[in-house]
Amino acid sequence: MTVGVTRTRDIETLEDAFQDIKKQRTQSFDRSSLSEPVSTIEIIPTDKFKKQNVMGYKSSKVVDPTGKGNPTAFEQELSLMDHELVEKSESGQTKLWSRTPIDADFDPKLSDISFQQLDAEQAQLSGQYDSNTNVVIRFFGVTDKGNSILCNVTGFKHYLYVPAPLGFHQENILTLMQYLNEHYENNVDSIKVVPKQSIWGFSGDAKIPFLQIFVKNPNLLNKIRTGFEKGYIQPNDKWFVGGCTTYDNIAFPLRLMIDCGIVGMSWITLPASKYHIVPGAQRVSTCQFEVNINYKDLIAHPAEGEWSSNAPLRIMSFDIECAGRPGVFPEPEHDSVIQIANVVSIAGASKPFIRNVFTVNTCSPITGSQIFEHEKEADMLKHWRDFIVEVDPDVIIGYNTTNFDFPYLLDRAAALGVQAFPYFGRLSNVKQEIKSSTFSSKAYGTRESKNINIDGRLQLDLLQFVQREYKLRSYTLNAVSAYFLGEQKEDVHHSIITSLQNGDSETRRRLAVYCLKDAYLPLRLLEKLMALVNYTEMSRVTGVPFMYLLARGQQIKVISQLFRKCLQIQTVIPNMNSQGSEEQYEGATVIEPKRGYYDVPIATLDFSSLYPSIMMAHNLCYTTLCDRATIQRLKLKLDEDYIVTPNNDIFVTSKIRRGVLPEILDELIGARKKAKFDLKNETDPFKRDVLNGRQLALKISANSVYGFTGATVGKLPCLAISSSVTSFGRTMIETTKNAVENKYCIKNGASHDAVVVYGDTDSVMVKFGTTNLEESMKLGAEAAEFVSSLFKNPIKLEFEKVYFPYLLINKKRYAGLYWTNPKKYDKLDQKGLASVRRDSCPLVSIVMNKVLKKILIDRNVDGAMQFIRETIDDILQNRCDISKLIISKTLAPNYTNPQPHAVLAERMRKRDGVGPNVGDRVDYVITGGSEKLFNRAEDPLYVLEQNIQLDSIYYLGNQLQNPIISIIAPIIGEKQANSMFIVKSIKRQSGPVGAASKQKGGLMSFVKKVDTCKSCKRVLRKNEGPLCADCMSRSGELYMKALYDVRSLEERFSRLWTQCQRCSGSLHNEVLCSNKNCDIFYMRVKAKKELQEKVVELSKW
Amino acid sequence: MLEAKFTEAGLFKRIIDSFRDCVQLINFNCSEKGIAAQAVDDSRVLLVSLSINVEAFEEFRADRNIVLGCDLTNLSKILRCGNNSDNLTLIAEDSPDSILILFEDTKRDRVSEYSLKLMEIETDFLEISDMKYESYITMPSADFAKTVRDLSQLSDSINILVTKDTIKFAAEGDIGSGSIVVKPFTDLDHPENSIKVTIEKPVDLRFGAKYLNDIIKGASLSDTITIKLSEEAPALFQFDISSGNLQFYLAPKFDEEE
Repeated sequence: MTVGVTRTRDIETLEDAFQDIKKQRTQSFDRSSLSEPVSTIEIIPTDKFKKQNVMGYKSSKVVDPTGKGNPTAFEQELSLMDHELVEKSESGQTKLWSRTPIDADFDPKLSDISFQQLDAEQAQLSGQYDSNTNVVIRFFGVTDKGNSILCNVTGFKHYLYVPAPLGFHQENILTLMQYLNEHYENNVDSIKVVPKQSIWGFSGDAKIPFLQIFVKNPNLLNKIRTGFEKGYIQPNDKWFVGGCTTYDNIAFPLRLMIDCGIVGMSWITLPASKYHIVPGAQRVSTCQFEVNINYKDLIAHPAEGEWSSNAPLRIMSFDIECAGRPGVFPEPEHDSVIQIANVVSIAGASKPFIRNVFTVNTCSPITGSQIFEHEKEADMLKHWRDFIVEVDPDVIIGYNTTNFDFPYLLDRAAALGVQAFPYFGRLSNVKQEIKSSTFSSKAYGTRESKNINIDGRLQLDLLQFVQREYKLRSYTLNAVSAYFLGEQKEDVHHSIITSLQNGDSETRRRLAVYCLKDAYLPLRLLEKLMALVNYTEMSRVTGVPFMYLLARGQQIKVISQLFRKCLQIQTVIPNMNSQGSEEQYEGATVIEPKRGYYDVPIATLDFSSLYPSIMMAHNLCYTTLCDRATIQRLKLKLDEDYIVTPNNDIFVTSKIRRGVLPEILDELIGARKKAKFDLKNETDPFKRDVLNGRQLALKISANSVYGFTGATVGKLPCLAISSSVTSFGRTMIETTKNAVENKYCIKNGASHDAVVVYGDTDSVMVKFGTTNLEESMKLGAEAAEFVSSLFKNPIKLEFEKVYFPYLLINKKRYAGLYWTNPKKYDKLDQKGLASVRRDSCPLVSIVMNKVLKKILIDRNVDGAMQFIRETIDDILQNRCDISKLIISKTLAPNYTNPQPHAVLAERMRKRDGVGPNVGDRVDYVITGGSEKLFNRAEDPLYVLEQNIQLDSIYYLGNQLQNPIISIIAPIIGEKQANSMFIVKSIKRQSGPVGAASKQKGGLMSFVKKVDTCKSCKRVLRKNEGPLCADCMSRSGELYMKALYDVRSLEERFSRLWTQCQRCSGSLHNEVLCSNKNCDIFYMRVKAKKELQEKVVELSKW
Repeated sequence: MLEAKFTEAGLFKRIIDSFRDCVQLINFNCSEKGIAAQAVDDSRVLLVSLSINVEAFEEFRADRNIVLGCDLTNLSKILRCGNNSDNLTLIAEDSPDSILILFEDTKRDRVSEYSLKLMEIETDFLEISDMKYESYITMPSADFAKTVRDLSQLSDSINILVTKDTIKFAAEGDIGSGSIVVKPFTDLDHPENSIKVTIEKPVDLRFGAKYLNDIIKGASLSDTITIKLSEEAPALFQFDISSGNLQFYLAPKFDEEE
């Protein structure tokens, strides 16, 4: 027992030492203090450890004099890259930066220029008129040789259509033009009479005359449009009385691209001698080529064959580090940018060819990267700006660059008065500015974001990309890289950065490595996720410019395709004033589920791409929508020439006219089939992912066509189409159900009566009654074929899988073991269960997955129940990992009722000066107390630090109970299931008391813990030992147990600590990580706390 | 073995009802001195401490120390089953899984028996060291209850300001403000109606109305309430029962401190 006493003394002295360190670093929420290996070493303190800690972040010269002695894994990776470049770099590394010069034998009279265009924007050339207009569309691009180019397409005039009034003749054109020019600033260039058809409705094949009105300045087109629509334009008392509909309303750049057949990210060839090189004095950009060409002369290539490749694009990824003040998120007005790391790569190359870090103050060298040291921050910013112009990247990527890095740099440069900084676009005289915008879309939700114009360079913020394309629980760079790259990084909290910067060149080197890694990871993600490739494909398929894909919603993609198709068939699209009507139409049908646990195979029959195939099969389109009057006028025959949908709308058949939408869908589905076919033959798992991504993108595109017709706030809503589609869908599900049940019944010679146990939108689940897996598969395939024959091509019912066993909980909620061949199951499939939802804590999905696995795969119900019981105990005894209890929700701009995460976000803003932004996911846990639930949400890190009691009853009752009961009730019965959730034993922490309590003047600071017996928990009398008189007899046994507890905790902590060392890639530096998404981090902190408690307790023996 | 008999079931029921809203789970520590219990609410602002001395029971026997972990919601469900005038006996074994609750209607010879499953509640046992307070107030508990109820309609916090010869309760909220001033006086015929103030130093403290509303449920136990206050320390609100008391320690609110 004397040993124990000396131990306590050691703790005291070390504790003092730590207090000193904490004073040195005054950050109020410096989480690093949590990550020091306090507890293990407390017990066996060594001098070496003490020294390192007292020295804080300054590297210990004794251990590591150069900083290069123990390179981290990432540093080693960097240094490997260098060796390949050694020879080149000797000739001066800066020369590597710029692009290869234009070929010496280049001659504008003889050489064609072919380039891939990346971005299109509208611009005006001063004083240079082509065909009466100086408005041009500016294409930025890269040639096949890697030269950058700015191409002004001249002479194209924007236009609109209005129907020609009755009795309008060729000679009236002049009158109308004069009238328009008088009223609209002399803007009209010419008017043509052209025969066209409106896309809206079928009324015979006859075309009617439309006036195509061309303008010189596209910006004034909408004024004229409004004039026509509101009836302001009245050249005489007969024409356009009361206003008329105008046609073809689309943005100018897109108009040109459509008319010239240019799709997004496609190649354009400028034939020799047709283009003009802009003379030096008039050049506005930093591009190597700057040319003008008339729109009629350029050759647009569809993205096929040799033109489906990509130009050697330069991709730059960067990351900045800011030195914040203690406890405040960096603000550009006060806090300086201290490092900028850049990594530049050429698309398709395996390694980045430029890696460098711009630093303020000195920084020790990093092998494989260049360091540019600067004394002043302003110099660094200027240098960085020059660097970008020199390197001339085509694509700038990063993580959260749009909403953080770029705005911060621009604001910071403004605060420092660096006038030259905000000019790193390709247009040398255009200043980069920040604009705030709110983006709202049904598919992607509402996000606040900033827009920075960097003319001529594509921006691809990986954060925005991942948020759009993947549903994850967390979107931090760390979580995303862990998920996709299987790679964690050290997560240095922003409050530590300042102390690293204020250290010496070695600590700044450490920061630089971290910063460089943050710049490198987005590049890796870009490659891994094929973000550029996939978006390029999407842009080519739908025809919209690349930037639209991130900045705009789904509709623009459909519009672009629609306009392109319509141009070919002389059809014009009316400009509809979309006022969001509240009109609702009936959606898909759901067959009432026969709930329960099925221990027999359930075959699932699916309609493949149901809605698109309905539109194709029944030729549903704007152009085929018809009415009774037209049918009578043209004497059309039912079913042969036209059909009546279950929704009582009339559409002509493809015999009369093939619709535009079905054609678009045909192409999309054809492309998807091809992608799926390639997917089947592809063996490389990564390329499979890409192909899978592509076919999903095509599926989304195809499905969004249906959505487009039903979007009442959209550009061209047509409920006749969308409600006809759903009504077809509903009848088809019913037909399928009846057909299957009637065919497979005992009456017709089957062994059992088949029952459709559930059906939703595009699938039906059939219980054929057989217990044989193989037989049910055979029956399923047979039934699918039989039912398909009842419907029109290309509608097809497919037999896809068998669920066996199958747990049907409710509408859209089920789980089952998924079989596609009778030998081996494919996976455990779950739909709509809490385990695949993101709004409950991870514990729920972990437990549910395990339980489902035990029940459905292992068929071990008892084991599942045992597991549930253990989990419930863990929760009540606070043994559960806090990271598993974190709930995360996306923050929306406003709430009518207080929501836990919104209230917490507000509280964090007050407490820390920063809080989550709209669109971010807020992590929280529910703490105990009798306050309203929304007031009890708290930041998990804060909870860990303050040792706040979690509301274990909440987690049990509100999180775990219902989902678990829903899956076990069908098996063991409702009553049994409920009884498992009765609380039998619970642990409450009272947190720090007395002087340790952080709440000054709070209740707990006046409270002392009363010593209780270690065995029976009874209050001890004065001078009584660790045990009460009754338990004293078992002293030896209990002491052993206490020792053992400490031992196992020590071991646990050491393992976790080692794990973190391994992850940060270095055994000799401290672990600075405070990664909020890492299980290990939470476990480590918790293990540390528990260990400390146990050690204190042990000291009382 | 524990055997504790109350002459009137109503007393135990009132005791439980007076704090079951602020703490749900509690350990009753039974020893030869009586029954004591103590718990902190989860937000760690209010500490409830109950002691029922042996004298308060008609019969009491506890051979060993016994801890009874109860969910008060469930306990009060059972207590509602008896009549207030019944005898009530609590019976438990030395290391019990459940507690036996016996109601005896002495007039009609009717005995009802209930058992309640116990919980293992692992929690620290806390105590607040005896401290010297700056002001002491004794006043009728019904008056205090009404004051709190009235003012809590206006605001979610109530100020208590004690000076030499007045006690001022005040609340200021969005809809308006209110204050109630009482002065010490002595009622010789009905001493329980008297108001006494002893102060060393004036105090001005602010409390969460929600917690005060929990505290005033104890008014059914006693005609008077004793309030002890000090600046920057938890206040003590105490209700005495025939032998023993129910104490609430409540930490004052500080301005805009999170």
